[in-house]
Amino acid sequence: MTIASDDPRVAAAAAPPPSVPPAPATAARRRRSRLTRNRWGYAYVAPFFLLFAAFSLYPFLYTAYISLHDVRLSDLDGAVFVGFGNYTELLQDEFFWNAARNTLTIGILSTVPQLAIALGLAHLLNYRLRGRTFFRVAMLMPYATSIAAATLVFAQLFGHDYGLINTLLEAVGFDRIDWESGSWTSQIAISVIVTWRWTGYNALIYLAAMQAIPNDLYEAATLDGASRWKQFVHVTIPALRPTILFTIVVSTIGAVQLFGEPLLFSGNGMTNGGVSNQYQTLGLLMYDQGWTNFRLGQAAATAWTMFLIILVVVGVYGLIARRRARAER
Amino acid sequence: MATVTFDSATRIYPKSDRPAVDGLDLQIGDGEFLVLVGPSGCGKSTSLRMLAGLEEIDAGSIRIGDRDVTDAPPKDRDIAMVFQNYALYPHMTVEQNMGFALKIAGVPKSEIATRVAEAAKILDLEDYLGRRPKALSGGQRQRVAMGRAIVRSPQVFLMDEPLSNLDAKLRVQTRTQIAALQRRLGVTTVYVTHDQVEAMTMGDRVAVLKDGLLQQCDTPGTLYERPANTFVAGFIGSPAMNVITGPVVDGGVRLAGAVLPVPRERLLRAAGDGGRVTVGFRPEAVELAPEGVPVVVNVVEQLGSDAFLYATLGASDDGDVLHTADLVVRTEPRSAPAVGETVHLRVREGGLHVFDPVSQQRID
Ligand SMILES: Nc1ncnc2c1ncn2[C@@H]1O[C@H](COP(=O)(O)OP(=O)(O)OP(=O)(O)O)[C@@H](O)[C@H]1O
Ligand SMILES: [Mg+2]
Repeated sequence: MTIASDDPRVAAAAAPPPSVPPAPATAARRRRSRLTRNRWGYAYVAPFFLLFAAFSLYPFLYTAYISLHDVRLSDLDGAVFVGFGNYTELLQDEFFWNAARNTLTIGILSTVPQLAIALGLAHLLNYRLRGRTFFRVAMLMPYATSIAAATLVFAQLFGHDYGLINTLLEAVGFDRIDWESGSWTSQIAISVIVTWRWTGYNALIYLAAMQAIPNDLYEAATLDGASRWKQFVHVTIPALRPTILFTIVVSTIGAVQLFGEPLLFSGNGMTNGGVSNQYQTLGLLMYDQGWTNFRLGQAAATAWTMFLIILVVVGVYGLIARRRARAER
Repeated sequence: MATVTFDSATRIYPKSDRPAVDGLDLQIGDGEFLVLVGPSGCGKSTSLRMLAGLEEIDAGSIRIGDRDVTDAPPKDRDIAMVFQNYALYPHMTVEQNMGFALKIAGVPKSEIATRVAEAAKILDLEDYLGRRPKALSGGQRQRVAMGRAIVRSPQVFLMDEPLSNLDAKLRVQTRTQIAALQRRLGVTTVYVTHDQVEAMTMGDRVAVLKDGLLQQCDTPGTLYERPANTFVAGFIGSPAMNVITGPVVDGGVRLAGAVLPVPRERLLRAAGDGGRVTVGFRPEAVELAPEGVPVVVNVVEQLGSDAFLYATLGASDDGDVLHTADLVVRTEPRSAPAVGETVHLRVREGGLHVFDPVSQQRID
């Protein structure tokens, strides 16, 4: 943060006075003078930190505080301290484990195909392709579509009686499927929605990273006899590894927090994850605890548990990545 | 090992109205080291990439040995290429980089290891086999790139300015190493450079290109002694040959009032057009004399072993100098004249080149 220190006026203003005081005071003084010298730098970044404090840090800490109390939505001031009671209760709650399992399966069902398809799409787009701009825009469309609109359309596609998918299934001789009521089928359907929304976004990130790979690497690989597929495996994927890790982290965070798609999937936006909670995610569970049962402390504990899950998972990715990087050195 | 033949090979890039390589005809012998040289943008890289199969051939054909490879994909041509930026695979070790082509070809692991070890020994890379390109110096990377080509023992080596990323001293060193290595392996090699010194020192033969057209292809000695046209004359040799056009008079060409003698029969053939002739002489083919073409010395460059005079033709008011290029003259360092002095030049016996002033072609 030395943005401003190049400014001659500021530098002049911050220049030390002619009479230098004796030793002990100088360190503190130097620190203070560095602060003043950099004050414009701090001023420029301040808005971000103010917003961060107000809208991220405060809610974050406040949630932690609430999670240690028994709080009802109707009576925010009547909080009773319960220690880790909310957490122990959560860990003994079969709904929590059900929701955690659903979140995991939906997470895997959506993240893996999503990233794999994105990688393939980016690879195709990376070749000299006609109408590349068109495809790029097209790929961003799902991302730009509102969750609600998208999910409602998909809910109709997956509808039992009039849904397009069942109609097609029937046309090729299969039975209709009651997508919403089955456990696997509902989770697959939700994963399809998530994949549809996020594939293009990830593909664009991959595409940007691919375009940074020097072309002569591919030419060298071509001369070395590598087929396109081998080039993809031996040139593209290794160069993309950091990017892939990044998208995995981002998708994992998204998957743990999955909320909108399952909420709207039933078509009325009122569900808490199906009649037998077959597609209740952690996000839905938290919503249920806080806004249906009005138990804010419990909901806050769930929120913090989700956060910790994310931390652990991302930490594990980080460890794996570091170990790989070290093995490669 | 094999011969390489370019047969009127032409490349026109899409959206370009002029061929980047125009009807290139070249026969490269088995085991020969051929250097493609020319100014930037003359089509050297394009020619090389056409041979590699990285660039389409729009007309004509290319043969490796007896096989027409015009439409063959790169991997079926059995060639290896050293790229200007080396194009080493960044995430693979030196060993993996060198063995990659063999691995793709399904060569057994033990054989890959022996061949890589052999190449590493030749190139003095044995201590670096486990490192990644990032952790190597420029010269080491260059050697890995060479190693990657050697390991495959291909029919033809292609190199596109492989030394341009090295510092001057290393470049001179590596230049001799590559030339020696090529002679030892005896693999047909096509080498691209824009540096005529590199071309002259390394090549068995040198092909000079300009604007996609082959100007001359011959041994370094012949290029130097008998350049086919004024472009080759000016391009080969350092400092460049002096090339001047002037009016024909009896017995020679008039330059700054004096007459530079030109053999009669060559003069007659050159003077078809308006009584002018283009002559060329190298800096080292001139000597200072009491009589001769007067020049004014502008700069004296002392190199220790030689001195170079940068001079302009002496004053003349009869318009007999058609382009007033600077002349360069080599002299003994001790007897070099002072700046501002007027000296007289004489071309040594056999040091004069004569060109047609219109077609720019050599006249013998
Ligand atoms: N991909 C391309 N598309 C269109 N024109 C190109 C392309 N590559 C090269 N050219 C043109 O073809 C001509 C020859 O290019 P080439 O790269 O062969 O030159 P070069 O002799 O290797 O020059 P340098 O010494 O600068 O590398 C140039 O005029 C260049 O502008
Ligand atoms: Mg080039």
